Amino acid sequence: MEGIIAIWQRDLIKFLRDKARLFGSFTMPILFLLIFGGGLSGTMETMMTQNLDVGGDFNYIEFVFPGIVSMTLLMTSVFSAMSVIEDKDFGYMKEILVSPISRVSIAVGKMAGAATVSTIQGIMLFALIPLLGLNYDWISLIQVIPFMFLLGAALSGIGLLFASFINSTQGFQLIVNIIVLPMVFMSGALFPINGMPGWLDVIVKLNPVTYGVDVMKKIMIDVDQLSMTVRETMGLNLTVFGRQVTVFEEILFILAFTALVIAIATLSFKRANA
Amino acid sequence: MNSVIKVSNLVKKYKNVDAVKGINFDVKEGEIFGFLGPNGAGKSTTINMICTMLPSTSGQITINGYDVEKQKDKVRGSIGIIFQENTLDEKLTANENLMLHCRFYNVPKDKRHERIQEVLHIVDLIDEQNQRVEEFSGGMKRRLEIARGLLHYPKVLFLDEPTVGLDPNTRAHLWKYILKLKEQEGITMFLTTHYLDEAEVSDRIAIMDQGEIIAIDSPTALKDELGGDLIELSTEDNDQAIQEIQDKVTGADVTVNGDTIHLKVDSSDAFISNFIKKLDIPITTLNIRKPTLNDVFLAYTGRNIQTNDE
Repeated sequence: MEGIIAIWQRDLIKFLRDKARLFGSFTMPILFLLIFGGGLSGTMETMMTQNLDVGGDFNYIEFVFPGIVSMTLLMTSVFSAMSVIEDKDFGYMKEILVSPISRVSIAVGKMAGAATVSTIQGIMLFALIPLLGLNYDWISLIQVIPFMFLLGAALSGIGLLFASFINSTQGFQLIVNIIVLPMVFMSGALFPINGMPGWLDVIVKLNPVTYGVDVMKKIMIDVDQLSMTVRETMGLNLTVFGRQVTVFEEILFILAFTALVIAIATLSFKRANA
Repeated sequence: MNSVIKVSNLVKKYKNVDAVKGINFDVKEGEIFGFLGPNGAGKSTTINMICTMLPSTSGQITINGYDVEKQKDKVRGSIGIIFQENTLDEKLTANENLMLHCRFYNVPKDKRHERIQEVLHIVDLIDEQNQRVEEFSGGMKRRLEIARGLLHYPKVLFLDEPTVGLDPNTRAHLWKYILKLKEQEGITMFLTTHYLDEAEVSDRIAIMDQGEIIAIDSPTALKDELGGDLIELSTEDNDQAIQEIQDKVTGADVTVNGDTIHLKVDSSDAFISNFIKKLDIPITTLNIRKPTLNDVFLAYTGRNIQTNDE
């Protein structure tokens, strides 16, 4: 336990000392919020509510905001796993690997560090809520934070997997960019994923981000007040094998995914000899 | 004295090469054990296996009574390692680096502060403890790494090329700290170095070549084994000089090393005046000395240790 905290704390201290990283990672979500929330919101609303009688009930920005927070979680947590490669480059991984700290603790500590960093960034995005004219219940915002941490942990695991077999930071950034953007687009973060062609639907349903985005939306948006049509339009009736999934099942899926990546990451630290 | 490290029949095979071919040795408690060999001799492979960083093909290693394969965590807790390259976190302060180490090694909470101050005192970094490591000079970084390696009171401290890349002044300074450690703490040290003058501090030296240990003894014994004195000379015509030496001189072992002729004799006092009289070729340089570790190394491996340097 002590080891997990030590590794977690180290990554956190380094994040807080790195001002460029702290603010630099905001540009992407703000850009997306500007483009999708400001520029495209009219178009998206028209497109999504075509042939539907939803009236003024549908607000695209309200729909996309949780999606963009999830996207920030994804990017920050995956990229935070790059610290593993940096530690290998700068030799610090040796210091960790020759110590008696258990290999599971290394994986969990790295994951907790990335999850914390991404949760902090996600919470910082909440500051934009009043500027965007949005109205989320503050209780739901507080409720969503633990889930953001879980999602951050799960997604950082993806980064850890890549970091275990990629040895350069450049290579890591390249591969991660190739992986991350499709994961965002295929998750319902920016637009609803209803009525996708069959093969794309499979990818969407396998993508852990899909469930993350769905849970975020279900917690943050007051779903019960929305009419059935609006829910359908927002893609909030996510079904797997023709069955609508519950928030509980989605969280279970993400937990299972997290456990799986921890196991794989632990194995990779076991065979590593830096 | 008890053995802290026991290595028996240790083998490491890679696909095409046998990197380590069944070596045996013990390191005794409290000694400085020097581990020498040219690059590619299997030194690093051996050390990595001892430090739990690399699985062996066969053989057994125990450290402090723990089996390296089966009790990795116990072994890891018993050793401290000063790596050849920097393994400090430069973005953190000296103190933070040490505190992290305490936590990795489960140093009891109430002892941490005291121990950190203690090791910082040994390496004279008390006043700099709250500076970030990136502001440190090369020598200070090395000292901090040594301090860190001591924090959990390891039974054995591994020093892998501890002074490589440092200027001679800093090297000498660092050795002062290392020897102080041995005197004050009685800590067992496992040392590898390219600088043979540094290896002289060892109580015993093992020379490794091509995956095997070819000699193990104290530096003095190794040098005595070569025996006598060494005369290095160069002449205006070395070929002719060698011919003359072979014709007229007895009791000398002749080898040629580059531009100089090496004569190994039992005692130079009795030999030299007679020898110079016999030689007709004018001598340009002449040097008489006791054998050094490099001569030992040369005798065993046929190579200078320095010329094989990376």
